[in-house]
Amino acid sequence: MEDKELLEKFANPESRNMAFNQLVRKYQQKVYWHIRKMVIDHDDTDDLTQEVFVKIWKNLENFRKDAQLYTWIYRIATNECLSFLSSKKRKFFLPINDVTAELMEKIESSPDIAGDEVQLKLQKAILKLPDKQRLVFNMKYFDDMKYEEMSEILGTSVGALKASYHIAVKKIEEYLKQD
Amino acid sequence: MRKDMKLNDIPKRNVHQVPEGYFDRLPMQIMERTARREQVTATAWYASLWRPVRHAMAPLILLLMFVGIYFFNIQQNQQQEMVTTVASLSDEEIMVYLDTYAQVETADFEEHSLADQDLAVEFLNVSSTTAEEELEYYKINDLDY
Repeated sequence: MEDKELLEKFANPESRNMAFNQLVRKYQQKVYWHIRKMVIDHDDTDDLTQEVFVKIWKNLENFRKDAQLYTWIYRIATNECLSFLSSKKRKFFLPINDVTAELMEKIESSPDIAGDEVQLKLQKAILKLPDKQRLVFNMKYFDDMKYEEMSEILGTSVGALKASYHIAVKKIEEYLKQD
Repeated sequence: MRKDMKLNDIPKRNVHQVPEGYFDRLPMQIMERTARREQVTATAWYASLWRPVRHAMAPLILLLMFVGIYFFNIQQNQQQEMVTTVASLSDEEIMVYLDTYAQVETADFEEHSLADQDLAVEFLNVSSTTAEEELEYYKINDLDY
């Protein structure tokens, strides 16, 4: 079902639940993986994904029809991720490196993560990046998103995004060279 | 691992896994969560209406208690003043007052029911001479009805 049709059905109280169910089925994987690459842990991702869709449910009526629905959904998911990570740092009074260390530990020990040595090292290298740079890298490298779309989601200029991605790639390659 | 490894040399792979059937269950869990949130929202307006009333209740009760105590004290003081004033009057002043203002009316008798035996006995034990003297004293004939 097209986004436009979904929104029209959602506006009608009689077909609202059915339309929202369709919307969840359409976007659940994109939202889940976007969050999972940032917070690593499945349970945290599950909770955040559900919270994102609850927020979509609450605010979909106010959604501007001229904007892209998936861009709007990505923005909500991105905000949830960044809020979660910053609250995690505040909550435990941990410096950034300790949260990174915790996530790296999950990469090494979690049964939900499978990959060879190179893949796991790449994941660790990505975790070394600051949160927003990591977000930019994930969206470009894994999701093949266009800079224009990323700009709309993150509210940052295309030039800044290109520079951020370039720096992120350099940092990752430097990390991969280390033993 | 090669020292000159580039990012492009690494195949893009998703290393994260999800429990089996997770994406089949997720929509239902989300729908349940939105339904719960709807219920909370539906009761929230009632709670938000009741909350200020509940918060105002304690100071309101305190205020009512203070007002009650204040008026009770005023009344007590007035009664105390009246008793003190009456106690300070001499018998002569009382007699002058009664002589000037006291008028016996039918309503005054209604206040003393016949069931009040002590009063009735006291009243009946008065001799006819004393009663006549009493009547003479209050000059009943001079009363203007």
